[in-house]
Amino acid sequence: MNPTFIGLELRRVIRDVPAMFFIVVLPAFFYLVFGAGQDYSDQPAGNGNVAMYVLIAMAGYGAATATTGIGGFAAVERLQGWGRQLGLTPVRDRQLVAAKTVVALALGVLPICVVFALGPATGAEADPGVWLLSGLALAAGAVVWSLYGLCFGLAFRSEAAVSIGSGVLVVLAFLGNIFIPLSGTLLTIAKFTPLYGYVGLARHPLTDGVNVDGSGRQLAAEPLWVPVANVTAWTVVFALVATWLIRRGRSRQ
Amino acid sequence: MHTITTTTPAIDLRNLTKRFPGRGSRQVVAVAGLDLTVARGEIVALLGPNGAGKTTTLDMILGLTPPSSGEVRTLGLPPRAAVAAGRVSAVLQTGGLLGDLTVRETVRMIASLIPDAAPVDEVIGRAGIAAIAGRRVAKCSGGEKQRLRFALALLADPDLLILDEPTAGMDVTARQQFWETMRADADAGRTVVFATHYLQEAEAFAERIVVMAGGRIVADGTVAEVRGLATTRTVSADLEDPRAGDRLRAMPGVTRVAVTGRRVEIAVEAAHSDRVARALLTDLAATDLEIATASLEAAFVAITDDHTDPIEVAP
Repeated sequence: MNPTFIGLELRRVIRDVPAMFFIVVLPAFFYLVFGAGQDYSDQPAGNGNVAMYVLIAMAGYGAATATTGIGGFAAVERLQGWGRQLGLTPVRDRQLVAAKTVVALALGVLPICVVFALGPATGAEADPGVWLLSGLALAAGAVVWSLYGLCFGLAFRSEAAVSIGSGVLVVLAFLGNIFIPLSGTLLTIAKFTPLYGYVGLARHPLTDGVNVDGSGRQLAAEPLWVPVANVTAWTVVFALVATWLIRRGRSRQ
Repeated sequence: MHTITTTTPAIDLRNLTKRFPGRGSRQVVAVAGLDLTVARGEIVALLGPNGAGKTTTLDMILGLTPPSSGEVRTLGLPPRAAVAAGRVSAVLQTGGLLGDLTVRETVRMIASLIPDAAPVDEVIGRAGIAAIAGRRVAKCSGGEKQRLRFALALLADPDLLILDEPTAGMDVTARQQFWETMRADADAGRTVVFATHYLQEAEAFAERIVVMAGGRIVADGTVAEVRGLATTRTVSADLEDPRAGDRLRAMPGVTRVAVTGRRVEIAVEAAHSDRVARALLTDLAATDLEIATASLEAAFVAITDDHTDPIEVAP
């Protein structure tokens, strides 16, 4: 581990005001509006209340946005020549991947911490175990989204592509049962989309798999293997696509 | 552990070839069977038109791209090993920088990846970028970015320094300052290989010039030797009746006659320049006669003209 390298990488992102807005301010704002600010926020939901149900989703959205950006820019930087500069040093690829993973993890944890810190003051309630397990699931799962960002960066080779990746993330957030509660056919489709698995897994300690529809009615409990399978499958898909894109880029060199 | 004596060449290329996939099933041969040895302490200019294969060759010496065939030894080692040992360093033409870092942060970041890197402030001073150390890289001029890349190359205190178009984007003053810094560094016994478009730089700074065209070496020698490869001279004089100059076209060895006002300029093979001069003075009553040997530039154009197209072959 190289503290100087990681420190400077972190500093780059943290002083990027627009990036920090999307990573930290927006998820916190969404939580306050869609969660804490709503009348139904103090209604019970599983092992806590609805505010907590929204809180987990918004923290996850922020974390995914953060790591998408890290992964995407890592790819673009390399393709735009920074990789050649690094290629002149003894550093190895896996050390760089490790460093970027630490940076992604640190930035993914940032919105989780901020939103989780807002929670207790704004009425989010849950058993202590829920806070802990949900937080850990969000942090660990966030790293997967750096692979998603990496795919966009590798495929389109521009900073705009990374923004598109973040834009698609908003669509995936709707489909991921994050912004509005889904039910029926839409919920069935949602279960195959990547953000659903990530947030579903993080919500599981709270809900035990019981989702709520738009009118607050509880839906049939979903077994834990559904989000687990979803996250596993999408991790494999993102990893395979990224590997394929790297190979394609290399042969074109 | 490799033991390296100072007699090991700094660079040793054997039949080095690099092919890139081109359109369809065709391949572009960027470097076509290069043989080159650079001894320790030499200062070599790599000269050639765009597409000559200079950057690709330097990339292979640095291990940034693997050769399609042939062998590269950098300081007696495989290129990646030489880079990993901090023995070789480079200023890259296309080496990207991160626009959102400051100059100083960039140096710190790369320094953190190099074991036993030279102190950051010392390197910043030597590269002449102390005044802009706090500036964001995105706000630096092309010349300032080149100086930053130079600072990064100095971090490793390398035995071999590779410079690919190091003064691209610099104005005349900055270019002069850069080469002064470089000269001080080269005097310390460092091997320097630089690619350039600027013939004056090659002439002023290099002891040896290697001219590349179409992926091959087309000339290799001292500045004087390479200049001597150009076999044309220019004979020029004033004539009372410039049209009379047309008669010279028929003379042996004359390749071109150009008339501007009273001034006539004749390009002629070196072996025949005396005869043209004599004809001008005796038969045509020419005045103000001049005979010029080719500049390095003319030599360069003459040598590379036939080889400028990259070779395309079916696989």
